[in-house]
Formats: sequence, structure tokens, C-alpha cells
Amino acid sequence: MTPLAKNSTKERDSALLTAVAAGDRRALEELYLGYHRRLARFLSRFTARYENIEEIINDTFMVVWQNANEFRNASLVSTWIIGIAYRTALKAFRSQKNYADMGSLDDHPEQSVDPTIATEIHDWLQQGLGRLPIEQRLTMELAYHMGHSLEEIAAITDCPVGTVKARMFHAREKLRQCLPALSGAASESRARIE
Amino acid sequence: MTGHLTGDCEHQEVSALIPWYVNARLSESERLKVDAHIAGCAACRADLHVEQQVFEAIKGAPTVEYMPAASLKRLQTRLDTLQSVAPAADAVPVVRIRSGWPKRALMAASVAVVAITISLLLADRWVQFRAQQAAPNYRTVTNSPPRARDEVIRAVFAPTITLIELQAILDEAELRIVSGPTEAGVYSLAAKSNRPVRSSLALLRQHPTVRFAEQTREEPAPGDSP
Repeated sequence: MTPLAKNSTKERDSALLTAVAAGDRRALEELYLGYHRRLARFLSRFTARYENIEEIINDTFMVVWQNANEFRNASLVSTWIIGIAYRTALKAFRSQKNYADMGSLDDHPEQSVDPTIATEIHDWLQQGLGRLPIEQRLTMELAYHMGHSLEEIAAITDCPVGTVKARMFHAREKLRQCLPALSGAASESRARIE
Repeated sequence: MTGHLTGDCEHQEVSALIPWYVNARLSESERLKVDAHIAGCAACRADLHVEQQVFEAIKGAPTVEYMPAASLKRLQTRLDTLQSVAPAADAVPVVRIRSGWPKRALMAASVAVVAITISLLLADRWVQFRAQQAAPNYRTVTNSPPRARDEVIRAVFAPTITLIELQAILDEAELRIVSGPTEAGVYSLAAKSNRPVRSSLALLRQHPTVRFAEQTREEPAPGDSP
């Protein structure tokens, strides 16, 4: 997206949210259609069940509808909406067992990925990501799937920058433990250095 | 010793920034700092190589596209329910102020509001349940849903299309909506005039916001009996 297009999107979102705060249902619908694709794609990384994705998106926009007048331009509208979606998703993922394979590495410390079964990096990665604690996975997906900066993720997750760095650090370490191909590449390089 | 500690600090700081170096979201000064460190640190170069693979795999992973129309409809229903309940809830303090009802009456009013809310929610669930019961819970490729009366075209529009844009396209093509959108975002359209359906179809297909448009009923050839 060009800087000009980004600015026009920011202004459009801001105008729409102001209208939503004044009780304009059409503005909410336009905002919904503008964010649905992005949020659905992001959430489909965690669950294949569309009813769960829809529930999180619709719960998010119910909060947007009810709290639009509390938005004070302290952040971008997009950061504010994705922050609401983040908290809604986090709550849903924590409370419902059927949201994907949400077990964390801490829940199954004895398990590891069998390299003879999963030979592709992509398959290993999916399994590895599925075993990360949800906060760590969300942090990694916000950075790599959605392309957010460190500061944006701190605003979305309502955490200090240091916490975001720590979550990402632990996510990377845990992924390497269960992704032999990747950790092998790194350790080989390290061995060459030593 | 101090130099070694400084080096360790810098290494840790740069290592923590690698994910955002990979997704190109660092500030210019941070990016230059990472560039300078990586040039002399083989461990960070190895980390960078790994993170680039993880980033590419996550970013390039296939995702499913979902049509928002049906979900938006359900959100609208929730908002309607919320708005129909809100005035009743707001009425409670007014009653107390104006008539000075005793606590028991106020509690009864609160219970009534809760009962109305529950009734509305149950009614909504009941309607959904009946709809599910009425419709078969399976569909075969040869068993398509019944076609709407007068339908001549089925179409799917871009999820970002506004109602005004949609109406303008339909007016131009001299079509009207007879049903839809379905779960998949499909609209059934009927002719508003004697304009040939093929002409309306061609016009629809010219619009970039029309994702799919197909004629569902053959036009009678000139001279065919009605």
C-alpha cells in the first residue's frame, strides 16, 4: 500500500468510527466490510471453523459499536480494532478447547515433532506453532502474518514493548526446539563459527 | 571486559529485533544498527536466516477467503436485538424517579426487563433452530437449493461493495434482488424491464466489483411461444 493510500485509509477509518460513535449503523457496516477479510484471514491461522471466526469478528464489532465513543485517537483506528479482536480471540481460545489444536508446549513437554512424519518446513512449522502458548503465537502471527511493528503489537496487546520482545524470543526458541530442520541450520552455522 | 559486556548487550538487543528486521518494520536507525551488527556476527546471521524461513512460511501460507455478507447479517440481527432491549432497560430508572416506586417494584421491573431480554434471545434461537430443522443438513452436488421465482441471474459481489454501489449497478443493468445473499454471498436477481438478460449479464460482468455472474434461465428465442 502506498503512503497516500495508507493515509486515506486512516482518514476513512477515523471518519467511519466517528460516525459509529454517533450511532450510524451504515458506518459500522462499512467498517465491518473493510476489516472482515483481514481479520478472517488472521483468525483462520488459528482455527478452520468459520463459525468460531465469525463469532470473534462479530463480538469484536459489537464492542466497537458499544465503545466507539471511548476512542480518543491515542492510536490508529486499525490498531484499536485489532486490539479488541486480539482480546476477544484470546478469551475465546483460552475458554474453548475446540479452537484448533491449541495445546501449548508447556502442556505436552514430552512431545516433539517426529521428523520422519513431517518432512516439509511448512508442516513442521504448523505443528510447532500449534504448540506455542497462545500469547506467544499471537505475537508471532501479528508480526509475521499481519506485518505489525514492535510498537503496534505492544499497543494491540496492551503490553510493554519488553513483554512483546520476550514473547517473541520465547516463541522463536520453542519453535527451534521442535523444528529440527531450522534449529539444525542455525546450529550448523554456529558450529562453523566456533 | 567492559567491551565484551557492551558487545553482549548489543548482541541481545539486535537479536530481539531480528523478527522486525525480517518483516521490514524497524525504524531506519534500528535497521542500520542491525545491519552493522549482523555484518560482524555470524550467530545473528544464522538466526536471521532461520527467521526469514519462518516469516516466508507464515506469510506465504494459504488462507481461505470468507464472504462477509452472511456474517454481517447476523451482526445486524444482534444489533437489532440489542437496540430493541436497550429502551426497556433505560425505562427502569425513569420509573423510579417519577413515581418513587418501592424497592420491590423496582426489582420486579428489573426482573421483567431480564425476562424480556431472555425471551427475545430464546425467540431468536428458536427461529434459528426451526430454520435448521426445516432445511436438510446435507446437500449433494445434484441437489441445489430451490431457485427464487423470477430469478434470471445469480451473482456474487466484492465484499467491500457498498449498498449504494450495489444499487447503482443493479439499476444500470435493470435488475432487482429477489433473494440473498446466501451463506456464500450469492444474490438471486430478476429482470426489472424487458431488457435482454444477456445484455444485463454482460453489463454486470464489466464491473470490477462483480466477482461472479451467471444466467440461470434461458431467454425464449424470438418466435417461441410463451
